[in-house]
Amino acid sequence: MNKPIRRLFIVTVLMFASLAGMLGYHQVVQAQRLAENPYNTRKVFAQMRIERGLILMRDKSELSANRLEDDLYYRTYPGGDLAPHVTGYSDVTYGQTGLERSRNDYLTGTADEVELFTILDTILGREKRGADLRLTLVPEVQREALDQLRSIGKNGAVVVLEVKTGAVVAMVSSPSYDPNLLEANWEQLNADPVAAPLFNRATQEIATPGSSFKLITTAAALETGAFKPDSKFDDTKGSIDIYGNTINNYRTLPFGKHDLADAFAQSINTTYAQVGDELGQETLFEYMKRFGLYERPPLELPEDEVAVSGRYEAGKLAGPEKQLDPVQVAWMAIGQENLQVTPLQMAMIAQAIGNGGEMMAPYLIDTISDYHGTIIRQADPKVWKTPIDSSTAAELTEMMIMTVEEGTGSKAQTSKTQIAAKTGTAEVEGRGPNAWFVGFAPAEDPKYAIAVLVEDAPDESGAIAVPLARDVLLAALGL
Amino acid sequence: MQRNRELVNFIPVVILMVIGFISVYATRSSQIDASSLSYGLLFVGLYLLMHVLLRFTAPDADPYLLPITALLSAMGIMMIYRINPDQAAAQTTWLLVGLGLFAGILLLRDYRKLDDYIYLLGILGVAALVATIVFGTEVNGARLWLRFGDMQIQPGEFAKILVTIFLAGYLNSHRELLATTTWHFFGIPMPAAKYLGPLVTMWGLSFALLLLMNDLGTSMLFFGIFLAMTYVATNRATYPIIGGILFLVGAVLAYSVKATVHTRVDIWLNPWDDPMGKGYQIAQSLFAIGDGGLFGTGLGKGYLLLGSGETIIPALETDFIFSAIAEELGLVGALAMIILFLLFCYRGFKIAVDSDDGFSKLLAAGIASGFALQTFIILGGVMKLIPLTGITLPFVSYGGSSLVANFVALALLLLISNRNAAARRAS
Repeated sequence: MNKPIRRLFIVTVLMFASLAGMLGYHQVVQAQRLAENPYNTRKVFAQMRIERGLILMRDKSELSANRLEDDLYYRTYPGGDLAPHVTGYSDVTYGQTGLERSRNDYLTGTADEVELFTILDTILGREKRGADLRLTLVPEVQREALDQLRSIGKNGAVVVLEVKTGAVVAMVSSPSYDPNLLEANWEQLNADPVAAPLFNRATQEIATPGSSFKLITTAAALETGAFKPDSKFDDTKGSIDIYGNTINNYRTLPFGKHDLADAFAQSINTTYAQVGDELGQETLFEYMKRFGLYERPPLELPEDEVAVSGRYEAGKLAGPEKQLDPVQVAWMAIGQENLQVTPLQMAMIAQAIGNGGEMMAPYLIDTISDYHGTIIRQADPKVWKTPIDSSTAAELTEMMIMTVEEGTGSKAQTSKTQIAAKTGTAEVEGRGPNAWFVGFAPAEDPKYAIAVLVEDAPDESGAIAVPLARDVLLAALGL
Repeated sequence: MQRNRELVNFIPVVILMVIGFISVYATRSSQIDASSLSYGLLFVGLYLLMHVLLRFTAPDADPYLLPITALLSAMGIMMIYRINPDQAAAQTTWLLVGLGLFAGILLLRDYRKLDDYIYLLGILGVAALVATIVFGTEVNGARLWLRFGDMQIQPGEFAKILVTIFLAGYLNSHRELLATTTWHFFGIPMPAAKYLGPLVTMWGLSFALLLLMNDLGTSMLFFGIFLAMTYVATNRATYPIIGGILFLVGAVLAYSVKATVHTRVDIWLNPWDDPMGKGYQIAQSLFAIGDGGLFGTGLGKGYLLLGSGETIIPALETDFIFSAIAEELGLVGALAMIILFLLFCYRGFKIAVDSDDGFSKLLAAGIASGFALQTFIILGGVMKLIPLTGITLPFVSYGGSSLVANFVALALLLLISNRNAAARRAS
């Protein structure tokens, strides 16, 4: 009878081997797929069992906090609609955006630096809790920017940077939304593709810069030595013929005899078309790159929430590799010709000029501290690029002051401080133009740089953005 | 000396048990109290007591089975404790009952007297099953439980042992007749028709179990034990082959007439068609197993309970305890458990091979096959290797009947091995 017993044992071995095989299949081969299965709530709930770190503004007022219900933590947003595009949201159903997504590891305490403390605390029996993010946002400036955009009733964005460090003092996209009501309003929030409240216009919207781009053209003109602020021009017709194409001034006004600084302050297209033609495509692209276009600004938001500025063709970035028509180059010099930039990028350009030519890496997070209050990460301001030298920056600053004093930015005049700026308008099909304001203050010792984008401006001058920018700058300066 | 060997085998088992209970306590100390540590000590004490008992009653018994059982039952109670401390207390009570019965059987010593009462035992076994069918309560569509006041027992677990003893005796005395070919059926050598009776009866009984208890697992288990034992008794592959075919016919028939069987098979084939409804249990089981990965989440750290304390996988502490173990101990721990089960079966079959009389051989082989098959049915079920059917994992799952019945089986195996050694010495 022993032969059949041995055979039974062999059958048993085979059965158990198949069990072991199936076990390995699920735990090793299929583990990833099982973890990612949408019906597997493991990851979501595991994170909901951790008390997420807070997101605070510079004054430690709360933007993101927690509410405990049945042993699970749900996110609440005491800041309401103040800065939802920066914090983003963290929701069981709709996932995560903003810093809630890109800094999820810190907020849940799974980042390496935080984990070290957590193991110790597990031994001590302390509850696991994520690390807090303290942002560089200043509530008064953020509020002022949001209120200003709201009061003019237009969609748009404001970015304010600290000139010396690159710290983001305000980042607003209007219309805003209240992440506390995400579930209730989800359909409505996604219903209107024009208003698009969930969209962060400050970093995601790429818009034609119009005349504000002349900052880069002028920087190239001065830095290469091709032109000086007092280089002479004569505009008799208010329009110019470039290779059979006509480029007009705003309202085709003739400006007569003037120099480059006048052309900058009055935003004379005919002159800048000539400057662009003389500089050529290669130089213009070189300076775009020097100013950080064609690269994703190293902000802490998720990559897909920070757009890359540059020249776009059919929805794709198009660099200098293609030889452009000379007339296209002339158009580019005045900020048209498919150029697309984000408000963040323009603010960074203003910041670089105000900082003597050094462009700082922009950042939103000042400190990250674990739940003991120990700072585990402190912002370390770094120069990202040096697009121009300090003398060019000084010359540009002078021209930007002139723009406010006697040019297109005159509505930014205030007795409280000297603002330096460049304005811009860019036509948009089917609605009013985009109005831009790019500048900094105080001009003599720049502290804050700003970029304002207002969509669907009521007139071609783009003047609507100017007083708004002035008031936000004054708020930042505490004046 | 076998008992000294057993004592040495207990050393790693005790270390693992203590580490296990301490880690469960450490990770869940906010929810549970320090009594988990006393569970650990109680465990060690009880098994050492059994070890001492064996020294007197069956000194030459197999030295591996008791340590393996200790480790399996410790893993089970540890997991149950981690899931629900109250159930762990109940399970510990059942462990005491089981060990008491275990000790009682060891004191009887001469298990071969059972051979004289096989018809009585067989009838008892069948009666237990019939009682379940008639008076049983339905849980999840299957009629497996008998209720006595607050207490529920699963007579099927005891019937399994009783039927195994009956078959050992019956097949032992009829094996020559069963092995004799008297006619051919489509060229297959067949024994005399009248000896086919038990085969047909067993098939009928299994099928009746399937239809009346609504339980594929128990039916498969009984029929499997019967086929294995018949094969051992006759050494004729004809029996398992014909039996297998009969079972398949029965299964196909059941699939077409019984909605529960139909549903179980459909869920097995396509669990992702309805992962929040019918396929929920198996889907969640696979998520848990997958989450374990190589080394597991660690004891007490898996995602097994909701905030309310409810288990995410229904029947986690009984049918799905292996999924919980796979999640928290990972491939390493779960594989170790499978190996422990295989070792148990190996010792069982080895005891059968070493036996010098038919009854002992058949009894040991029957117990070992039943143990192997039951483990395979439930582990295969929770891993989606075969259709899921609710049955306990021996020594590990929550459930008194299963625990007590398996201790009876263990006592029998130890007594047989003790006798084998004595017989070997005598010759």
